[in-house]
Amino acid sequence: MKFIRLRVANYRGIGAADVKFGPAGITLVQGPNEAGKTSLGEAIGLLFEYLDSSKARNIEAIKPVHRDEGPEIELHAESGPYTFTYMKRFLKRPETKLTISNPKPENLTGREAHEHAEAILRETLDVVLWKALNIQQGDAIHQPELGKQTSLSAALDQAAGGRPTDPGEEGLFNKVREEYLRYYTERGTERKELTDARIALTRAEEEVSNIEQAIRNLDDDTERVASLQQELAQLKEQDDRLTQEIIAYTASLAEIRDLESVLSTSRLKLQSAHQSEEAAHRDRDSRQALITRVAAVDQEYKKINAENAMSVPALDQADREVKNAQGAFNEADQKRKLADSNAELRRADFDYYNNKLQLEQIGERKARIDLARTNAAQAEELLRRNKVTAPVQQLIEEAERELLAAKAKLDTGAPQVYLQSLVDGCLVIDGTDNTLTKGEKRSLTVTSSLRVSIPKTLDIEVVAGASFAKLQKKVEDAQVGLDRLCKQAGVAGPREARQAYDDRNTAERIAAGKAQVEKENLRDLAYQKLDEMLLALQQGVPAYIRNRVNEPVICPDLESAEREWKNRESIRRQAVGAWELAHQTLEVASGVWNGLNTKHHHARASFDLSSKQLNQIRADLEQARENISDDDLEKALAQAVQIVASEYARVQSAETALGAKNPERVKTLSETAKGSLQTTQNRRNAAQNELIEVQTRLKIHGEDGLYEKRGAAQAACERLMAETSSCNRRASSAKCLFETIREERDKARRAYVAPLKEKIEQLGRLVFDGSFQVDISEELRITSRTLRNITVPFDSLSGGTREQLSLIFRIACSIIVSQNGGMPLILDDTLGYTDPGRLRLMGAVLAKAAKDCQIVIFTCVPERYGNIGEATCISLR
Amino acid sequence: MIRFLHTSDWQLGMTRHFFSEGAQERYSQSRFDAIRSMGQIAKENECRFMLVCGDLFESNQVDRKTVARALDALRDVSIPVFILPGNHDPLNAASVYHSSTFIEQKPSHVRVVETAAPIKIAEGVELVGAPWLSKRPVTNPIEDAINALEPATENIRICMGHGAVDTLAPDRESTGVISVSALELALDERKVDFVALGDRHSWTKVGKTERIWYSGTPEMTDFRETQSGYGLIVELGESSVNTKPIQVGQWLFLEHERVDINSADDVEALRQTLETMKDKARTVIRLNLVGSLSLTLSGTLQNHLTAAQDVFGAFDVRDDELLLVPDDTDFTNLGFSGFADATVQRLRNKIVDGGTAGTEAREALMLLLRLAREAV
Repeated sequence: MKFIRLRVANYRGIGAADVKFGPAGITLVQGPNEAGKTSLGEAIGLLFEYLDSSKARNIEAIKPVHRDEGPEIELHAESGPYTFTYMKRFLKRPETKLTISNPKPENLTGREAHEHAEAILRETLDVVLWKALNIQQGDAIHQPELGKQTSLSAALDQAAGGRPTDPGEEGLFNKVREEYLRYYTERGTERKELTDARIALTRAEEEVSNIEQAIRNLDDDTERVASLQQELAQLKEQDDRLTQEIIAYTASLAEIRDLESVLSTSRLKLQSAHQSEEAAHRDRDSRQALITRVAAVDQEYKKINAENAMSVPALDQADREVKNAQGAFNEADQKRKLADSNAELRRADFDYYNNKLQLEQIGERKARIDLARTNAAQAEELLRRNKVTAPVQQLIEEAERELLAAKAKLDTGAPQVYLQSLVDGCLVIDGTDNTLTKGEKRSLTVTSSLRVSIPKTLDIEVVAGASFAKLQKKVEDAQVGLDRLCKQAGVAGPREARQAYDDRNTAERIAAGKAQVEKENLRDLAYQKLDEMLLALQQGVPAYIRNRVNEPVICPDLESAEREWKNRESIRRQAVGAWELAHQTLEVASGVWNGLNTKHHHARASFDLSSKQLNQIRADLEQARENISDDDLEKALAQAVQIVASEYARVQSAETALGAKNPERVKTLSETAKGSLQTTQNRRNAAQNELIEVQTRLKIHGEDGLYEKRGAAQAACERLMAETSSCNRRASSAKCLFETIREERDKARRAYVAPLKEKIEQLGRLVFDGSFQVDISEELRITSRTLRNITVPFDSLSGGTREQLSLIFRIACSIIVSQNGGMPLILDDTLGYTDPGRLRLMGAVLAKAAKDCQIVIFTCVPERYGNIGEATCISLR
Repeated sequence: MIRFLHTSDWQLGMTRHFFSEGAQERYSQSRFDAIRSMGQIAKENECRFMLVCGDLFESNQVDRKTVARALDALRDVSIPVFILPGNHDPLNAASVYHSSTFIEQKPSHVRVVETAAPIKIAEGVELVGAPWLSKRPVTNPIEDAINALEPATENIRICMGHGAVDTLAPDRESTGVISVSALELALDERKVDFVALGDRHSWTKVGKTERIWYSGTPEMTDFRETQSGYGLIVELGESSVNTKPIQVGQWLFLEHERVDINSADDVEALRQTLETMKDKARTVIRLNLVGSLSLTLSGTLQNHLTAAQDVFGAFDVRDDELLLVPDDTDFTNLGFSGFADATVQRLRNKIVDGGTAGTEAREALMLLLRLAREAV
């Protein structure tokens, strides 16, 4: 489409305006604010959109100010093959007029004109796209909404080299998507419809399965009833048979009991006969035993009597032997006692000498201890008094050494007066007369002063100096110190102190030596024990001599006493040996005698007893024979044996009769039959109970109509299965279709976005630099700009850049669709955000675009567009 | 001479999975109606009694309502009715004939033949039934029943039996199969004069004697039945026998084992065939479609089938062997040029690849076609 001329009258604030657009390229419409520039752009839209009779708010809005006229719009344009003039007057005297000059002249008015104009526009122009590409005032920095622009899409498809997408395909895609969303969510998960169908199917299958199970159970019960009835019939037969058997066995058992009774009686009789036989046997055996015993006792009696007669001489002989042995023993005993006495005496003697020696030794040991104890006591007393311990002694010695040293220093430091007598004579030294021989020399130390007088001749006084006085003072101090120590130690002077110290040491040794002496002399005894021993010995030793027999005389000393004792011990041991031999001999002889004597007494007693017994037993036999004779006993026995044989035969006969009846077998079979009958009855009861149970179940469930329920459930299940299968198929086909069509649509979009991107970048590189790139979304929006490898999202770009990119985007779209007839691009006061440098470059973009499409710019700032190249300029007043 | 109505295999309580709920109910009702119809026919033909030779019920475990409705229908039959338990409703512990509903509601003129003992049902007429006492007897009960009989010298003796006969059974050795020669021998020996059989759903003469018959079911139950939907009027004299099948059933089970569908003409021909059929509400159709169709034609066919489904008693279509092959004509008028066209091409390629993905692609393409048409 191409605008040729636009005329408006009575339009808002515009009285009349007539704009003749340049035949191609840019038309720059300039004028001050409120000159109606924006209204011109708006007017073209209203012309096509509203009927002349419209009272729409947009139409009311264009009513002229202060004039009672209808707003008029008239456009002369070319669109596709059409060249036409289209005029409308609104509100007042509304009118529509369409005059077509090409391709076929035509004049239309009213609604017909409106509809025809609409048809031309629909045929030749994508009005929506056109509106989107135009820039209204203040809208410059926003991108147009082009995602649903079919003519742009078609142009882009064409530019991408593909077949243009039919406008209806997008609608188809939406329908496919709707179909898909019936089964799946946006995220691709199945909707409830699908899962519900599956759950319902599973439940229906379970229902069928449950009914089938119930039918199977019913069938099983039905068969079970038949089987139980058969079993019951068999059990009944068995029951009858067993009852008959038991009756027969009961009769047999009665007969057996009779026979057993007979047998029992016979056995009792036999037992009684046996007992009689045994009694007869016992009586006969008893008689024979008595006879045998009389004979045996008689023989024993005789034997004892003979033995008794033989034992008396032996006993006498033994008695003699005992007496001899006793004599020998008595003699040995005397000798032994004498030897014992002598040995004891000699041993006592020996002990006496030993004790005597021990008395001496112990006395000495006690004396040594006592002495040591006395010395120790004295030493301890001394030690208690003596204060000169080693430290004290050391102090005294040190004080003494100090005194001697002071004195030595005094001696050394004191003035010395050397006298040598030239003649024998006297002189007085410090008032003391001294005689000096000729040539005698004397040295005098002047302690403080020294007066030497030669009587009547001369007085010399020598006085010591100050240092000497000091030395003397030290000597005095040392002396005082020494004296104090000695006093404290309780001694007169150092010498005494040394003596005292030595005494102390000695006393300490003595005191220490007491323990050693005690240890050595007490050994393992306590002192008191030692004392007691000593006392005992002191009493015992003299007493032994006093109390000892006179004869034999005691040996003179310990050694002889010991020899004598050992001698006597030897004699004693010999006497003891002889005594033991004699004693043994006596024991043997006594033993023999005792044995013979005891035997003799026993034989005597046995003889008496045997005699008595023999008499008694003979009397018993006589008595028994008087009661019953031996022959009678034999006869009774023979008779009893005969009776037993007879009774035994009877028992045998009864046993044979009973054995023929086989009572054990009959009893066992009878019991078995009874048990079997019980078992059969139990089984019958169990089967009967089960039968009732199963029949009850059948009664309850047999009339549930399970077969038809199964049929209905199966039919429902099959319907559900078909529905589910159908639903799944529909879902999977919808999914397959949606995924395929979406992939193809995306692919197509990616392809047709490419020419738009290319065109934008081509234009953009005029404004920016050669590295300029943009990303275009599927919705046909610039999402980001890349410059020198730095990518910035569109919304983060500056207002100026966004304005420039939006304009370039629109221009690029216009260029792309211009190949299909194109559409004029109306830019109302754009590039307000763009700096002068960019304005110049954007001018070049507009100039380049103007070669392909018509551009109409409304502006109140014409200087902004000083670099747009060749343009038709129109001023509005 | 005596006249009676011989019927069997009512199979009351039978369900058919291809029926919708409503159709199933209509079908069941027709089977009850058939009882009344037979009662009416018997009356019109002056029958003395009616013999139901087994499988009156589809199962012993039918619903109480089914039992009650059957007895209610039988109440409308004015002549004595003798029912023989068959293999579907054997006289076992769970027998429907021992159910409280049956016992309580059984009309007095209805009698269940529970043993093989001869029953005198009219002067000079004896009935011997061979009831099934379990589902799987070792031998067919009719053998024992006949073996126990002496020749009927003074009476006409009618035997009721149930089960397959060896001359018609696919497996002659299977248990429970009736020996035809044994029946014919019994007829020769005059142990019986007529054998009324049940089990086979088609009305059929057995052997050469004209005295052994299957009555068939009074209402069709399956596609393979050839002469079902009848009751048999039997006229039996001392030395003569006449049988006359009377149509009772209203339902038709019709199966087209192979319907070739390859073109628009075939689709149209099928539509016309279906449209011209009579009594659709009582007709059960099964179609086995074979051939290949474009997606567009398939859509048309589906529309016809859907329309048919609404009017037929039941409509069972098996199209496993009908191949849908998209062709260019399917998409020519849709004006696809962009990604929709690319989608069509891609899905068609997938169809060529075959397999599950191919099937899925075919259905996706059909969906696309439908949506595109809706969008136009």
